[in-house]
Amino acid sequence: MSRKMRRTLWSWLALSPLIVLILFPFAVMFITAVKPAAEALQSRWWPSEFRWSNFAVMWGNTNFGQALFNSIYVAVASTLLAMAVSVPAAYAISRYRFRGRGAVQQFLLISQMLSPIVLVIGLFRLVVWLDLLDSVQSVVFVYAAFSVAFTVWMLQSYFATIPADLEEAAWIEGASPWQALVTVFLPLAIPAMTVTAIFAFINAWNEFVIALTMLRSQDSYTLPIQIFSLVAGRYTIEWELVMAATLVATVPVAILFAWLQRYLIRGLALGAVK
Amino acid sequence: MNRSLLTNPYLLILPGLFLAGFIIIWPLVQITEIAASDVNRFGQLQGFAGLDNFRAVIADPAFLGASLRTLIWTVCIVAGTILISMPVALILNEDFHGRGLARIIIMLPWAVSLTMTAIIWRWALNGESGMLNSALRGFGIIDTNIQWLAQASTAFPMQIMIGILVSIPFCVTIFLGGLSSIPDDLNEAARLEGAGPWQVFREITLPLMRPFLNIAVVMNTIYVFNSFPIIWATTQGGPANGTDILVTHLYKIGFRFGKLGEAAALSLMMFAGLLVLTLIYVRLAMRDTAK
Repeated sequence: MSRKMRRTLWSWLALSPLIVLILFPFAVMFITAVKPAAEALQSRWWPSEFRWSNFAVMWGNTNFGQALFNSIYVAVASTLLAMAVSVPAAYAISRYRFRGRGAVQQFLLISQMLSPIVLVIGLFRLVVWLDLLDSVQSVVFVYAAFSVAFTVWMLQSYFATIPADLEEAAWIEGASPWQALVTVFLPLAIPAMTVTAIFAFINAWNEFVIALTMLRSQDSYTLPIQIFSLVAGRYTIEWELVMAATLVATVPVAILFAWLQRYLIRGLALGAVK
Repeated sequence: MNRSLLTNPYLLILPGLFLAGFIIIWPLVQITEIAASDVNRFGQLQGFAGLDNFRAVIADPAFLGASLRTLIWTVCIVAGTILISMPVALILNEDFHGRGLARIIIMLPWAVSLTMTAIIWRWALNGESGMLNSALRGFGIIDTNIQWLAQASTAFPMQIMIGILVSIPFCVTIFLGGLSSIPDDLNEAARLEGAGPWQVFREITLPLMRPFLNIAVVMNTIYVFNSFPIIWATTQGGPANGTDILVTHLYKIGFRFGKLGEAAALSLMMFAGLLVLTLIYVRLAMRDTAK
């Protein structure tokens, strides 16, 4: 028991510099977000009072509602689109041995690694060609297409852990493949699909470069672009409002992520390494 | 009919493959065409230009600076991340009170978008009223405020520090996955034989972690090489292009100066570099699958 206590002490002590560095920006964000406007630019740590009304002011002044709506729409729509094409593909890769399967897997691995930034000139052309510039639809399409590689990869590594015997048993019992899929496979696959979808959602929620390039007006801004526009190229920045907006945009996703991170550890260990 | 649909893998794969392929190949073809063309300011292609765009990219003195900084940026962040993540993962793999909480805290930076992290740091590093300066003054570490982001000599190291901080979660995740695959009895057997902790790490843990270490290095290198928001949201590559790396340089020539031809040429050069890195990664990943 006392050995474990000692280990606890040393572990926390060793991790403490890193933990301080990690929590520092969160502390800065939180404290600034509740500072009265007059104190935001003073170099004092603690505010004289907690000004919760900053959040209401921020909501009214920064186009936050519209950006929040755009972000939710973009993240949900692109995730649904990606999942709709990824689930069948992942099912095929994990269940069938077919000619070209290895090539498809290699292609997925490679395209997962290619970041949109080196293709941004071509993507911009594509969006102009589709006449979707400054439309959230362009971002939905690009996010969905870029997340397919990741979602198929995650899904197929999870699907491969669901024994195929169960479906085969259902076939022998006289179920059609379709019935076996719906009644046997899908219920078992739902957790994996949910986790994968949530990661695709978080990626879309946080994306910056594509949104910065394709979205040109406040009506179509997503949250990262909206908040970036509050600090980029301005003479006076109302930092307490910027931090309030950052807090509201960040905390729900951070909680979701903290809850899910162990599934990601499992998925990555299964998919990327094994 | 249901049977044929569900049992034909090609039909099932087609939509996903089409979408994933289209989003890479179409832009790539466009970029290649633009890179080999003479492009005017309005983005119209005006005939074949051979390698002129590539020559213009290389002749630009800013390109050399950005390339050099990309090298420093990538090497420092990847090396720093690996060196910190390994002991952190080893600690988190041990059983101690509050381990769950420690894991969540270490993973937190991953959950926040890089843009938001960068904006918060931009404010924390503010010269006049930034809270880093006030904290450091409070502890008596500095006397006068440091204008962190006003010159490249302090801005760039700070950006590298932020880069390391946000890369740690991913790296620790990979290492934890690796550590959990090492059987406990192996370590115990070594201890019974009289090996010290450092020996166990050197002789048993490290060799078994080799594949995970390889993958962490290659994947991190690719991510860090492509990392755009940290620099863009803190300094936009300034002051005087002093913190530009290749991705911000590319974005500037493409969308700020409107030199689409040169931007496309630079994209292709970076794409080729990335492809080489990626092929290394695929070989590593596939080799482990084959085992």
